[in-house]
Amino acid sequence: MIRWHHVLLWVVFLAVLMALPPVLEALGFKKGLLRTLIWGAYIAVFAMSWDFLSGRTGYISFGHPFLIGIGAYTTAILSYRFDVPVAASIPIAVAVTVVGSIFFILPALRVRGSYFALVTLAFMELMYQLTQVIRPDLTGGTRGISGIETLTRGAVNGYYLAIVVMFCVALVLWTLNRTRLGTALSAIGQNEDAVSGSGLDPTKLKLFAFAISAAVAGLGGAFLVHYQGSVAPRALFDINFVFTIIVAALIGGAGTILGPMAGAFFLIVLLEYLRPWLPGAERYLIYGGIALVLYMIQPKGIHAIIRHLARPNPAGQR
Amino acid sequence: MTQIIIQGLLLSGLYALIAMGFTLIFSVGRVLNLAYGAYLMVGGYTFFWISQTLGAPTLIGVIAAGLIGAAFGAIKYFGIVRTLRGNHVAIEISTLILAVVTQAAVVLVFGDSSKILLPILPGVWQVAGASVTLNILTAAIASWVILIGLWLFVTRTHTGRAIQAVSMDPKGAALSGVDPDRMNLIVWTISGFLGALAGVFFASYTQLYPGMWVAPLIISVAVVIVGGIGSIWGTLVVAHIIGFLEVLVPSRLMADLIGVDTSSLRGVVTMLLIIGVLVIRPRGLFGRAEL
Repeated sequence: MIRWHHVLLWVVFLAVLMALPPVLEALGFKKGLLRTLIWGAYIAVFAMSWDFLSGRTGYISFGHPFLIGIGAYTTAILSYRFDVPVAASIPIAVAVTVVGSIFFILPALRVRGSYFALVTLAFMELMYQLTQVIRPDLTGGTRGISGIETLTRGAVNGYYLAIVVMFCVALVLWTLNRTRLGTALSAIGQNEDAVSGSGLDPTKLKLFAFAISAAVAGLGGAFLVHYQGSVAPRALFDINFVFTIIVAALIGGAGTILGPMAGAFFLIVLLEYLRPWLPGAERYLIYGGIALVLYMIQPKGIHAIIRHLARPNPAGQR
Repeated sequence: MTQIIIQGLLLSGLYALIAMGFTLIFSVGRVLNLAYGAYLMVGGYTFFWISQTLGAPTLIGVIAAGLIGAAFGAIKYFGIVRTLRGNHVAIEISTLILAVVTQAAVVLVFGDSSKILLPILPGVWQVAGASVTLNILTAAIASWVILIGLWLFVTRTHTGRAIQAVSMDPKGAALSGVDPDRMNLIVWTISGFLGALAGVFFASYTQLYPGMWVAPLIISVAVVIVGGIGSIWGTLVVAHIIGFLEVLVPSRLMADLIGVDTSSLRGVVTMLLIIGVLVIRPRGLFGRAEL
C-alpha cells in the first residue's frame, strides 16, 4: 500500500537533493564535491539495478558491468558513429540492453546459485574480449571512444541530470517492489522451490527481474556515457567496478531502495575524502577493509544497523 | 603442428594447476572462492620478494610462496568462511572484497608497476623444430607432479578419502565420524598452497602486476563450468581442452585451415565454450548431477 507519508518522504527527498548545489556552494564547498556526488548518483543507479536482481532473488551477478556496457556502447556507437540524436539513442540503448541481456541470460537461467554467479562473471569477460575484437572500427577497440556528445555542461547541470535519473529509477523500482511482483521476487530469494510450489513460475519471475535490472543498468550506462563523453573497455568491464557496485548495494542494505543509494553515496564520498591522505590505489585497502568489516558485522547493511538501533527489539514489527 | 602440440601441453599443464585449487574448494565446500586469484598473486609476489629481492635460492622461494599461500588460505577459512558458515552468498561476496583488498595491499607494498620475474630455470630447449623455454617446461612438469601428488593424496590417504566423503555428502560424512570443519580447513589450506605455487609459475609465464589475479580466476571459472565439480581428472581434461583451444585458435594453422584470421579471438572461444556447455549440459562435462 502506498500511503500519503510515502509521497511526502519522496517529495522531501527530491527537494533535499535539488537544494544541495546552492547550499553546498553557500557553505563554501568546491565544485569537485559535486562531481563526486554525480559519480555517486550513477553508482547508486547501478547498485539499485544490481540489487533488484541479486539483492532480492539471491541470484548474485558478478558481471553487472556487462549490462551497463551494452547500454553504454550502444548509445556511444549510435551517437558518435552514426550521428543519431541522443534523444533516440538512449531509448534504443535501453531496449538493446534488455533484448541483448535476455538473449545472454537464457542459458544462465538453467543454473542456480554459485553457478549463476560464475556465468555472469564469464559474460563480463566475454564482453571485454568482444568489444576489442568484433568491429574495432565501431567500438574503438582497446582505447574505446572519446569525444561523445555530452548532454550537460558544468558540474551543476550534470548533477541535476544525474539526480533526476537516479530519482526516477528509485521511484519506479520502489513502486515495483511494493506490488505482488516484488513480493514474489523476494520470495525467490528465500525459497525458490516454495515459490514454484505456490503455482508461480520462478523462471518467468527471474527473467522479469533480470529484464528490469538490465533496463536500469542500460539506462544508467547510457546516461553515464553522455555525461563523461567517453567509454573504454578496461574501465567498464573491470572487476573493481563490480566490487564498487556490489559493495555499495550491500553496505547500504540489500533488498531495499534507500540502502543502495545510501551505500553508494557513503562509499563514494568516503573514497573521495580518503584522497588527501591516501592518493592512488591504496584507498581501496581502507575502503575494502571498512566494507569487509561492516559486511561481516551485519550482512544486511547499514539499513539494518540503523533499523536495529531505532527499534532495539524488532520482534513482531514485521 | 609440433609447436602447437608442445605449447598446448605446456599451457594446459599450467591451467590444470591453476584451476585445481579452485575446483577443490568448490567441490568440497560448494563455495566460490573469488579470492582464489589473490592466492596466485600472493604466491607470485612472495616468490619475487624472497628469491629476487632477498636473493634466496629459488627452491626456498617456491616453498616459502607455497607456505604463505597455505597460511593465507587457512586464515581466510577461520576469519571469513567459518564465521559466515552456511551463507554462501555472503562468503562469495566477502571473498570478492578480500581479493580487492589484497590487490590494494600489493599495490601498497610493491607499487603499481608490473615486475618481470626472472625465469625459474633459464635457458631454451629445442625439440622437433620447436623451441621451449625451460621455465615453462619446469612449470608444466611441476604441475603434473603436483597433480599426481594431489590425486594420490585424495584417493590413497585416509584424510583424502574423508575429504571426498565431505564433498559428496557432508551430513553422511559427519555421521561416519569425519569432522567436516577440519576437512574444510585442510582443503582451504591445500587450495591456498596450490594457488600460491601456481602463482609462481603463472607469474614467470606472464608478469607480476597487481591486477594479475583476474585472469587465473577467469580460467578457473571456465574450467569449473565446463568440467563440472567433483573430479580431478575432469579438471585435467578440461584444462587441456581450454589450453589447446587457446593455443590453436590464434595460430597460423587455424587461420590457414578456415581462411579467417582468428588471432584475436583467443579469449572469446573459451567464453563461447562456457556458454555452449551451459546450454547443452548445465552440470558440466564431467560433473555429478546435482544442480
